[in-house]
Amino acid sequence: MATIAATGSARRAAGTREIPMDKRKISPLWILGSILIVLYAIIPILWILSLSLKPQSDVTDGAIIPKHFSWVNYSTIFNTGVFVRPLINSIGIAIISTVIAIVLATLAAYAIARLNFPGKKLVLSTALAIAMFPPISIVGPLFNMWRSLGLYDTWPGLIIPYMTFALPMAIWVLSAFFRQIPWELEQAASVDGATPFQAFRKVIVPLAAPGVFTAAILVFFFCWNDFVFSITLTSTNRSRTVPAALNFFTGSSQFSQPTGAIAAAAIVVTVPIVIMVLIFQRRIVAGLTSGAVKG
Amino acid sequence: MIAPALAACGQGGSGSVNGVPVINWYIGAQAGGWIEHAISVCNDQNKGKFVIKEQELPSTASDQREQIVRRLAANDSSVDLIGMDVIWTAEFANAGWLYAFPDSAKAKVTDGVLKGPLESASYQGKLYGAPFTSNTQLLWYRKDQVGAPPAGFTWDQMVNQAIAKHEYVQIQGIQTEAITVTFNTLLASAGGTFVNNAGAGENATIGLQQGPTVDALAALKKLASSSAADPSLNTNDEDSSRAAFEKGKSLYEINYPFIYASAASVKGLQAKIGWARYPEVVAGKPSKPPLGGFNIGISSKSKHKDLDVAAATCIVQPNNQIYAAEKGGNPPTLSALYDKIDKKQYPFAQVLRESINDAAPRPVSPAYLDLSLAVQETLVPLKGINPPQTAKTLRDLAKQSLKGEAVL
Amino acid sequence: MTTVAETPTSTSPASGGHRRRSILTDRDKAERRLGIRLVAPAVVIMVAVTVYPIGYSIWLSLQKYNLRFPHDRSYNWFENYGKILSSTRFWQTMGNTFIIVVISVVIELILGMALALFMHRAIFGRNIVRTAILLPYGIITVVSAFAFKFAVTPNIGGFWHVTSPPLSNHTTSLFVIILTEVWKTTPFMSLLLLAGLATVPNDYLEAAKVDGANAWQRLWRVILPNMRAALLVAVLFRTLDAVRIFDTVFIQTRGANNTQTLSQLGYNQLISQLNLGLGSAVSVILFILVIIIAFIFVKGFRTDLGQVRGER
Repeated sequence: MATIAATGSARRAAGTREIPMDKRKISPLWILGSILIVLYAIIPILWILSLSLKPQSDVTDGAIIPKHFSWVNYSTIFNTGVFVRPLINSIGIAIISTVIAIVLATLAAYAIARLNFPGKKLVLSTALAIAMFPPISIVGPLFNMWRSLGLYDTWPGLIIPYMTFALPMAIWVLSAFFRQIPWELEQAASVDGATPFQAFRKVIVPLAAPGVFTAAILVFFFCWNDFVFSITLTSTNRSRTVPAALNFFTGSSQFSQPTGAIAAAAIVVTVPIVIMVLIFQRRIVAGLTSGAVKG
Repeated sequence: MIAPALAACGQGGSGSVNGVPVINWYIGAQAGGWIEHAISVCNDQNKGKFVIKEQELPSTASDQREQIVRRLAANDSSVDLIGMDVIWTAEFANAGWLYAFPDSAKAKVTDGVLKGPLESASYQGKLYGAPFTSNTQLLWYRKDQVGAPPAGFTWDQMVNQAIAKHEYVQIQGIQTEAITVTFNTLLASAGGTFVNNAGAGENATIGLQQGPTVDALAALKKLASSSAADPSLNTNDEDSSRAAFEKGKSLYEINYPFIYASAASVKGLQAKIGWARYPEVVAGKPSKPPLGGFNIGISSKSKHKDLDVAAATCIVQPNNQIYAAEKGGNPPTLSALYDKIDKKQYPFAQVLRESINDAAPRPVSPAYLDLSLAVQETLVPLKGINPPQTAKTLRDLAKQSLKGEAVL
Repeated sequence: MTTVAETPTSTSPASGGHRRRSILTDRDKAERRLGIRLVAPAVVIMVAVTVYPIGYSIWLSLQKYNLRFPHDRSYNWFENYGKILSSTRFWQTMGNTFIIVVISVVIELILGMALALFMHRAIFGRNIVRTAILLPYGIITVVSAFAFKFAVTPNIGGFWHVTSPPLSNHTTSLFVIILTEVWKTTPFMSLLLLAGLATVPNDYLEAAKVDGANAWQRLWRVILPNMRAALLVAVLFRTLDAVRIFDTVFIQTRGANNTQTLSQLGYNQLISQLNLGLGSAVSVILFILVIIIAFIFVKGFRTDLGQVRGER
């Protein structure tokens, strides 16, 4: 741990963490800026929240704050079966894809960060190339392939492409984290008398865990968010996830728009994101900035 | 006993429940419970023979189509019955996805059915669907502000009236199937045809004769560029025009009958609404109103087609159609039923029947989707139409679309 | 275990290459075997799920194949490409995509840089701001598309009381789409730029201040040039993301009023019309476009992307 602190402060000295004395006064501009930024981030979310709390009759009144508050939209989506199953699909598919992707990426990132083997650059370049890939370019063939293999409209049918497109980001984030870990500590531990397994468990795992956890959060966000694969590789609620299901909500007649229901469902799937962001902000920022910004 | 039940529980697969085969009916979710009602009636009447299960498709027609064609193209054998929008018949039949009703079964589902729906369920001489519900658009007006339209009321007269009273005419100008419905109606009413000999499949040719096409486009342009056009015309679908009409400031509306039931939610409005047949485009030529509705088709990959025929025949029985009309706002396809449906909900039953009987179906062509997209992309925004030029552009694009060669 | 512990000193590419030229010991070989075995599963999956389908796409694109006309299947070689490249619709779509990409990336760069500078210098509220901006990043794209769509839909949205609803014509629709995209991805951009900001040596800035440079000059002469790699990565990733834009357009307009983008065009051909031949050709064109853009960026800036992350 001392080494990490040493690395961190070394980085800090080279970086620009030293704030000159005069800037330490809290000027009102910073407060105003912070408020504006927070408003920027939450206004659209508050708007959807407001829509979700409006009863059917008020949806078209254009008011920003609801005149009447009602939970009817939430009870509708949970009682009429249009939402519960897609929610379960989203949760299950995202978790499974995340677990598999993280396991594979951890192995790969470990190798990239610590081992010497030919083709290392190639692997990283391949990962980069996959990250740039347009998903729509493969939905046609995947549709055809999945329907012959019987994977169409199934959980594995979505888990496989999710994993594939999550791996590049996971590998990049994890290898960045792993490069910063002082692996010598493991050797130090075994010199101190620990068995290889103890060294691994007591030294390596705590060092690697934060990085793995962060990568898992980022991968989960990615899977939670997917829309393209979900609408093209599924056709029923058997495996359709929430982003696609939002598109298929039914209104009260053949011609009507279920605005309130969509808003309520949108809030329900945003809540986990909000919670994760509030709790894990530091980790997420560290992951997205490859550890350059540790908070 | 247990294994088949488990199989049926697992997915919407073509399994069986307690040894009784399950028939999966894929249809877009509808309000009013009329699908559930039809299913429970038929399950009661056919205990031990089969069990029908509803499999929900999305709410809009284009989404329904997208979802069902994927399954059909994937040779999904769990699809048995399909609640087909009237415009899918030719496309599905041509692709080999539908099973034609055998001659022995035809009479039971076609006797007494109005002309429009019957045409929409047939392709190349074979019957591919049992007509269940129908729909058409009427001309609705505020009878507290203007008198009943006289016989031979034209589109131009309608627009001029609205301009004079500084009010709107509500139509659907959104870039979806709705605009094709309107265009096709105006074209047919002007005496034109979209596709000639549609049943010839590959050898069909595009009509879109310059005269009637220009008349139809001119009508649209006249409304879109006048003060009678709702500002949201370009994004108005059926539901938005209904909402706009209910808000007031509209003298006329062209829409499906569902607006009448909805108007009851606005105090005093329903009593002020009058109805008439779709206006004429060319004075003297009776209008040819649009045609909507559902036909019950049978998938060619279904594992029990004979049972499907029986199920479809049961579903379209008269009392199911009446229920669909009274609880779901979907008019019947059997002519005789128009005298039997509730007069309070359907005071306009006679105009409705007449409109559906005289309706002009949209082109019964396998390439219908492409043709509709061609119309949608050429006509919207309505304000930008230049009738002679747009007619030519549309004709050229339609010719390409017929062959499936247009990039749309 | 000792073998593995020794490697950190020799894992960097420079010395690694040097070591390879000497005799490979058994340890080296074991390490290489282990390394390859560990990356293999990830690589195999990534390659299998993308390379095979794209190859299949290319094969499909050379055929006339529409699932709705199953008997009408044949090889028409490059005819599909010809039809696409000569269709006005396609070029309009390219134009729309180009407009969306350029405008949104430029705005995101400027706003993102401002946001990054703010987060870099602020003490008060740093955590609040960082937490807040992660919300647009984490929120589902479909949800943000609906939020903005409902805001500008007449009767539903209280924010826009204009006579002509924004989503009903070409220009304002593009504006709404771009606004939605910018709102959602500026935070991500700002974090990438913040990472770059953190690497600008403070001494350079101090020296510039001593030399009398004002804030603006410090930005242009010291900060930005030293952030080249981060800028490149941020702009490259965002550009490629924007070229592939799909969710927002699908939810807000479905391509109506001539707002179709390349991915939307591909979707329409493949999924709506089941035209596998034409749709695959569109997909391949998009794929090639992405490769070209990436190539231009990387070669044009002559910066090794590997230097950006981790291998400092």
